[in-house]
Amino acid sequence: MSLVTDQALHLVPGYRLQWEKAQDMFVLLYPEGLIELNQSSAEILQVCDGANKLADIVQTLETKFETTGLENDIINFLNIALENGWITQSA
Amino acid sequence: MAGSLKAPSPPRWLLAELTYACPLQCPYCSNPLDYANFSDELNTEEWKRVLKQSRDMGAVQLGFSGGEPLVRKDLVELVDYSHELGYYTNLITSGYNMDEAKIIELKEAGLDHIQISLQASSQELNDFIAGAESFEHKKVVAKLIKKHGYPMVLCVVLHRQNIHQMKDILEMAIELGADFVELANTQYYGWAHHNRDQLMPTQEQLNTAEAIANEYQESQKGKMKIYYVVPDFFEGRPKACMNGWGTTFLTIAPDGLALPCHSARQLPNFDCPSVRDHSISEIWNESKAFNYFRGDDWMKEPCRSCPDKDKDFGGCHCQAFLLTGDAANADPVCNLSPQHHLVTDAIDQAAATSSEKPLVFRNSKNSKTF
Ligand code: SF4
Ligand code: SF4
Repeated sequence: MSLVTDQALHLVPGYRLQWEKAQDMFVLLYPEGLIELNQSSAEILQVCDGANKLADIVQTLETKFETTGLENDIINFLNIALENGWITQSA
Repeated sequence: MAGSLKAPSPPRWLLAELTYACPLQCPYCSNPLDYANFSDELNTEEWKRVLKQSRDMGAVQLGFSGGEPLVRKDLVELVDYSHELGYYTNLITSGYNMDEAKIIELKEAGLDHIQISLQASSQELNDFIAGAESFEHKKVVAKLIKKHGYPMVLCVVLHRQNIHQMKDILEMAIELGADFVELANTQYYGWAHHNRDQLMPTQEQLNTAEAIANEYQESQKGKMKIYYVVPDFFEGRPKACMNGWGTTFLTIAPDGLALPCHSARQLPNFDCPSVRDHSISEIWNESKAFNYFRGDDWMKEPCRSCPDKDKDFGGCHCQAFLLTGDAANADPVCNLSPQHHLVTDAIDQAAATSSEKPLVFRNSKNSKTF
């Protein structure tokens, strides 16, 4: 599966993003699995809410961090997340 | 005490073995042979204390297993409480006593995922291995699990008597709508160790099975994830001990014994602590059992000077104990171990074992003889 720019992105059912106080980080939880996320991955996954498409995600994060030029990094990460089956796309 | 001075990393996984009771009798069960001696189960309040204290330390993945966790009358209450604490809750079940009402009730309590195990892809073999008529019901339950929106892992333990069904097992998994399939070659602890001669597959069987697993991994990409766990006996190098002993996993046995891994109960002189006497943080940070194999001060040769020691941590200590009598020896599965012949001999011995030799099934009657 590779990224389709005009489809919204969301976590695959059964996956959950959660803040862990004890570890001071976000983790991605799924059946019998746990992935510890770095800050940028967690920021991206948080806005994969089923409504946002690629352009919305880029804009939201560039606004939030008052920066530009994030698009390539975001695309790279989204492709990894799609390949791993963490997120999926719907029209 | 052996081990490093810095504070250990917190537990991330809690395996709650709620009970050793089980309506099935799989001859490869990893529960201890003498499980019938440990029938004094933790009560609901004690489990809640364990769940709370572990969560406070950082545990976030939670498996309810056993035995058969559905046997516990308070399962829904414990799931509900765990969900409230913020765990990702996994139920590891044979599906035997499951019905639709229970599936719904668990969903409402916040259960995140169900792993259901089957013993084979045909009724005859499934029911023989399970020691009970269960095949058709398990398939109904699997479909109900999907109907109610759970992610589902289908688990099949592989051994000499069912590994030829690989293709049919995978087709069955597709038909049942599994999201993940775990094809786990038998690990020889507990009852499986006792039945090893009758369970160990041949190299030829394994080659065929692995090729089929690879083929389906390719064709099911993006639809169903297939984990094929290769058997360490045939690998030449051991599997890593649990991401490192006392670094990630915490198992609580039905009677409250806290174990660094589910088969550590059998290790002699470990004095595994009980949650009836100690808090989870005392157990995790201070107990002899949890500190025993932390770091690498405990290692002997050939592990001590081996470049792979941070990768596999010397392999499985429980296996080292079972086969060599000393848990601090290198796992003899490793072909650098001076006792590696124990593993190759075991493979030869199993190959020479007649198919007439009966399996010893896991049940209380047999357990009391150990
Ligand atoms: S010698 Fe020890 S550390 Fe090295 S590969 Fe074998 S088991 Fe692992
Ligand atoms: S010692 Fe063996 S059985 Fe125990 S945790 Fe390590 S790998 Fe697992």
